[in-house]
Amino acid sequence: MEHDLSKLGMTEKELFSFHDHSELESEKITAPRYSYWQSVFRVFFRKKINIVILGVLAVLILFAYLYPTFSDYDRFGQLLNPNAKHLRPSAAIQQFGFSIKWILGTGAAGNSTFDAIWTGAQISISLAFICAAINMTIGVVVGAIWGFSKKVDMVMMEIYNIIGNVPSILFTAVMVMLFTATFWTLVLALTITGWLFIAAFIRTQVVIIRDREYNLASRCLGTSTVKIAIKNILPFMTSVIVTLLATEIPSYISSEVFLAYIGLGMSEMSLGRLIYEAESAMVTPGWEFEFWSPVAISAIISVVLYVVGQNLGDASDPRTHM
Amino acid sequence: MGKYLVKRILRGLLSVIAVVIIVMVLIYTLMGRDRVFAGDAAYVKLGSNEKEAYRYSKWEEYGYLDYVTYAEYLLDLVADGELDEDTRAKAVGIGRTADKDSELTQEYVQKFTQFYEEQGYTVVRLEAKLQGNRLIKGGQQQLFAYRDRPLFNRVVEYFTGLVTFDNIHYVEEDIQDRGLSFTWFDPLYGGDKFAPAIIGNGTFHKYLLYVDGTFPYIHQNFATINLGTSYTVNRGVDVFTTMGASQGPYVLSTVTFPTGLVEQSADDLHTATYLPGSQAANAVNAERFTDDYTNVQTVKGAMSKVGFSFVIGIIASVLAYFLGLPLGVLMARKKDKLIDKLGTMYIIFLIAVPSLAYIFIFKAIGGSLFGLPTTFDMSAANKLMFILPVVSLALPSVANLMKWLRRYMIDQMNSDYVKFARSGGLSEGEIFTKHILKNAAIPIIHGIPGTILGAMTGAIITERVYVVPGAGNLLTEAINKYDNGVIVGVALFYALLSVVSIILGDILMATVDPRISFSTKDR
Repeated sequence: MEHDLSKLGMTEKELFSFHDHSELESEKITAPRYSYWQSVFRVFFRKKINIVILGVLAVLILFAYLYPTFSDYDRFGQLLNPNAKHLRPSAAIQQFGFSIKWILGTGAAGNSTFDAIWTGAQISISLAFICAAINMTIGVVVGAIWGFSKKVDMVMMEIYNIIGNVPSILFTAVMVMLFTATFWTLVLALTITGWLFIAAFIRTQVVIIRDREYNLASRCLGTSTVKIAIKNILPFMTSVIVTLLATEIPSYISSEVFLAYIGLGMSEMSLGRLIYEAESAMVTPGWEFEFWSPVAISAIISVVLYVVGQNLGDASDPRTHM
Repeated sequence: MGKYLVKRILRGLLSVIAVVIIVMVLIYTLMGRDRVFAGDAAYVKLGSNEKEAYRYSKWEEYGYLDYVTYAEYLLDLVADGELDEDTRAKAVGIGRTADKDSELTQEYVQKFTQFYEEQGYTVVRLEAKLQGNRLIKGGQQQLFAYRDRPLFNRVVEYFTGLVTFDNIHYVEEDIQDRGLSFTWFDPLYGGDKFAPAIIGNGTFHKYLLYVDGTFPYIHQNFATINLGTSYTVNRGVDVFTTMGASQGPYVLSTVTFPTGLVEQSADDLHTATYLPGSQAANAVNAERFTDDYTNVQTVKGAMSKVGFSFVIGIIASVLAYFLGLPLGVLMARKKDKLIDKLGTMYIIFLIAVPSLAYIFIFKAIGGSLFGLPTTFDMSAANKLMFILPVVSLALPSVANLMKWLRRYMIDQMNSDYVKFARSGGLSEGEIFTKHILKNAAIPIIHGIPGTILGAMTGAIITERVYVVPGAGNLLTEAINKYDNGVIVGVALFYALLSVVSIILGDILMATVDPRISFSTKDR
């Protein structure tokens, strides 16, 4: 049917026209591409403060791991030099000349406090990361199984009630006394029951989301339990796990300091050991740097790790990705 | 509810038993026994066989094993009337080697070996160590039997001995007039003041029931709790007494002893217990007492270990709730405002910084800026010394309460009932305090019994840093001194407190919130 378009005041374009149906196009979703981890980092770096803190963390870790290899720190190197002990920073610089090594003065054996805290920081950070890695891995896996299976739940709940009531320093004490008090003994002592508390926490989280409607639907459609665990629940838990990690890592540094203080620490000169040995220096005029330097560095490391972890945890929550 | 509670309590008790078993396995089986000699000056001086025998006798004292020497066995036989003193004196000397024993000795050694091997003991005979013809130092011959205490026996013995009931047949020696007597007028108060008391003769305690001026005013000694006897921390004294007995300087008062002697003394005669032969053995006792009930505790001026921990812990907890709850509400109300950010910074500081570090910081600030006493002194009347420990305990709890209350309130803020209340025209203040707080506080209320009971266990670091004579250090001290009895006792005490506080917390929560019910019918 031909019409005179000009008479109606319309152009060709304004008319309906046939549009071909494309099978391929209809399968595409027009929403923008979404990558989970990309979004996490996008949200994380959106806050300027996070970049600053991450920078501080990088400096701390670089210092802890690289500086001791350059400084060739020898704790007893100046043991026989009577003028080198318990020096204030100014006195140390005056005596040995200006170097980064002496900016915090010297300790009980004439050793450089600055070198000591970085060697200690390396040990403490390693301990925290290793313990966190072991405990989180075991804890998350066991916690997931614990949350899913009602039979396992009954058994594990009783075990948790019992082990949770045994004072944890007792386990540590036994480990320290069974083996010599080395770095790896302390790792064992902190992980032997530590994973149980993480597993209990993860279990509660799993129980909360296990019976949500979307999982029920998934199960009705015949998805296997393993797939539900990995595809449905794990992504939901990422932010919880990252947040937990943020509190866990500093907690190991704190426990290490605590254990060293009550005399159950390791033989290596970790931050806890430094604090423990310099305790008397806190009240001695002129010796304060020996004590406050390891305290301050352990506080700074813990706070930075905690803040980075918390903000990463916030960023890994998909609800913040809008 | 009742049935459920009984079930909960029973399960709690079972888990307490399991805790004790695990602790026993840890300390008696896993921990090295040789460590008990690490700081032992006497051990170093001994040599050879004597050292070996000393090891076993020490291990018995620490509770690892049962240990009997041949001489003790013979003494037991004499006590049982199977052997007379002369024969014992002849039989007790064993030869340098087994074949040098006299015939009589051989007979009894044979009996000894048989008697103890039947009971699962290992009999050890150490032959004399000679150098030429002379004994080397400590090289005397030894004969003894020992047996590792099986875990099962140990556990059963521990739990059956947990509570002992005093009875008139406690005293083994012959004494006259065994029995209990009741009086309205306690002889210790002169016999004319109204003070009911039950006095025993033949019992372990002399006073089984009495009244006095200290809390809880009426005291009983019928049942005694034995959590475990201390070996190194407070030698020979039960953990329960160690934790609960007063400390500090003696408090003298005028005491009239049973003989009529009046003296300025700190002795608390109500606590007298039986010690065989003690009256005659000691001139002071003979002057004071008319019988063998001479073992008395003393009155001291300061609180007990648990007392100090509890006072500090309770004040700190009350302070924490008073500060933490309003601050938590404020943070939730002003979410993302300045006050919320400041509060979050404070929380981060206390969570992330090692607890030891911030306690030292508090100590340094309190000591230098405010001039507060930084160490505890029991004899000083100055109450200011309580401030720093209380503050050091309260500030972290404040942070914890703020963190959780803020979280719970923010979670509640988007609930339908809040929107409804707002649409109904309630002010924000009313919504927060009357509606959100009530719902958000439920998990916090659950923790209140735990906080109160937990105050009794004390705080390890705080008490150590400020030298508070509290209960917190008892466990670490016992571990460092290998005092197994104390470790088990304290572990049991902790486990009981935690089980009880969780049950109490559940009950409290169910009382406060009618939606929560533990009886299966209502669910």
